[in-house]
Amino acid sequence: MTITAGIDVGTGAIKAVLFNVEGDKANWLVRRTERVRQRDPFQLAEQIYDEILEEAGLKRADVAYVATTGEGEALDFHTGHFYSMTTHGRGALYLDPESRAALDVGALHGRAIRLDGRGKVLSYKMTSQCASGSGQFLENISRYLGIAHDEIGMLSKQADNPEKVSGICAVLAETDVINMVSRGISAPNILKGIHSSMADRLARLLKSIGTVDGVVLMTGGLALDEGLVAAMQEAMVKEKVSYPVRCHPDSIYAGAIGAALWGAYRHDKLERLGGTLAAA
Amino acid sequence: MSTTAEIISRCQTLFEDLTFSYAREWKAAMPGRSVVGYMPFYVPRELIHAAGGLPLGILGGGDQLEVIHGDAYYQSYICRIPRSTIELGVMGRLDFVDAMLFPSICDVIRNLSGMWKIMFPKVKSRYFDVPQNYQDNVGGEFYINELKELRDMLAEIRGTDVTDEEIRGSIKLFNENRRLVREVYAARMKQPWQVPSSEIYLLMRAGMILAVEEHNRLLGDYLAAVAAEDRPRRDNARVLVTGAFCEQPPLNLIKSIELAGCYIVDDDFMLVNRWERSDVAIDGDPLQNLASAYLHNSGNTSAKYEPDQAKKGLYLVDAVKRSAAEGVIFAAPSFCDPALLERPMLQSVLAAHGIPYIGFKYAENSGQMQPIREQAGTFADSIKLWSDQ
Repeated sequence: MTITAGIDVGTGAIKAVLFNVEGDKANWLVRRTERVRQRDPFQLAEQIYDEILEEAGLKRADVAYVATTGEGEALDFHTGHFYSMTTHGRGALYLDPESRAALDVGALHGRAIRLDGRGKVLSYKMTSQCASGSGQFLENISRYLGIAHDEIGMLSKQADNPEKVSGICAVLAETDVINMVSRGISAPNILKGIHSSMADRLARLLKSIGTVDGVVLMTGGLALDEGLVAAMQEAMVKEKVSYPVRCHPDSIYAGAIGAALWGAYRHDKLERLGGTLAAA
Repeated sequence: MSTTAEIISRCQTLFEDLTFSYAREWKAAMPGRSVVGYMPFYVPRELIHAAGGLPLGILGGGDQLEVIHGDAYYQSYICRIPRSTIELGVMGRLDFVDAMLFPSICDVIRNLSGMWKIMFPKVKSRYFDVPQNYQDNVGGEFYINELKELRDMLAEIRGTDVTDEEIRGSIKLFNENRRLVREVYAARMKQPWQVPSSEIYLLMRAGMILAVEEHNRLLGDYLAAVAAEDRPRRDNARVLVTGAFCEQPPLNLIKSIELAGCYIVDDDFMLVNRWERSDVAIDGDPLQNLASAYLHNSGNTSAKYEPDQAKKGLYLVDAVKRSAAEGVIFAAPSFCDPALLERPMLQSVLAAHGIPYIGFKYAENSGQMQPIREQAGTFADSIKLWSDQ
């Protein structure tokens, strides 16, 4: 029995999970998501880690490997760090074994990751540094519109005549939105326009990583946004991409899951090589 | 006893001081002292020391120096170190330096030696040529003459001859320095979590500035301080960094590689500190001993000619094995001819030996580290997860 932790320090939220891994079986013990909300993300990550340990009735010493991902390499108690493409790919495979690609849409970036059946990354592309098409951008717009974060998806699906925004530049997109508000465009149509613009960009990103021989699983915080998921389905049809895009209720944890599972793999491998790394 | 943090803090201060106040104060402390600047990758510092001089490594301006004048002297496709070195000179930051040595590393640095003579006529400037032939009766003879000319130039600065006994004394001190440097590198190779490369880097940079006697004390103190501290061990990939032997990477680049999940277990930053791989002989003709060490017992780099094509790049394979590295990161300055022209040949040798590698370029003032972190981090992931499959 190997207890491993996966901590995904994202720009918008911290996701932490605990797994009990025995051979090929990985049992999920605890999970927790907490939005950063202008707090120190590293202090928050440590606090969440201690809280999930307490919830599972465990101590730090019980954990064989603390794996971080996202921006978590700066956490001083981690055993090892894995990069987002590596962890989201593995997490997608855990959540949906038919996954052969992960589309990670987080607060800051969009990433398309093509995998094989073992979770090995075969190719990878991410959006450029502009915030347009990111979760943070969507959140900013919803704040301007006075809409709660949880309402975005539902409102977007009510759109009857969506207006597209710039998919390249967040500044231009914000200007587009301001113009739409002054022209009396409804919030659902604005939100759907943003979702469509994001989805078009993500679909092109997916096409750029090569043919996916299976399912594309959406991961990251925006995988829970039903409006974006719906827009993504439409964009795939428009881009003539035939492979299915799915999401999972636990998609937001994909990075943390992947980190924990790779951590277990590394712990096992190091043990076979004759040594382990004590968790901090 | 000093802690590692205290020692590294002092090294950081020396590293950041682009007015070279330590060297200025060292020179002012005693009449007749001289400071001799030198550029990478190698000069026989023993001769400078024997002549009562302070060898001062000039490794460009780093990421804190704004280059304004220096850009006017070079085309856009030339690396940054000659520009920032000119900037240091033109701005008077090197106005206390009595002589400058420009080793034969590339055409740009060779041309800089001529430019320096024109720009700073009161400074003794010398293009320091090292042999490309490793036979004692050819390259050895040539190199001994080169060393004699350098010794005579240094004697002229001091006003008295540099004796063999003085050179032997200096060789002894630098042997001690190299022994300590080797010990630091060996400690990192064994326990890289205890001896971070960002610290080693600053410690070695201090050796570019400090008098050798003081650097020896500092190295000894650091080794004692490291042994007294316990640092957490991470599940990182062991990598060797190569190609950074001239223009130096920003310190943040080294930190980024480490932060991305890599332990740097060998590198070629500041090769001058460990160019001779073991002690230089003390007895006998000291110039002959220095030449012999260069020909038969020195390190390897792309800037050093390899006459036997069959041996090309094998030094890197040996270094990987010796340091138990799991992969190689080729990190070279943009437009660095010696490093970048050699890179494909070295990579093909590594590929033939099944050693994974990645490569990127930098400038001494590179500021955006996210792509480096992504590359180094995913490289570490691939080593940790897929190296045996």
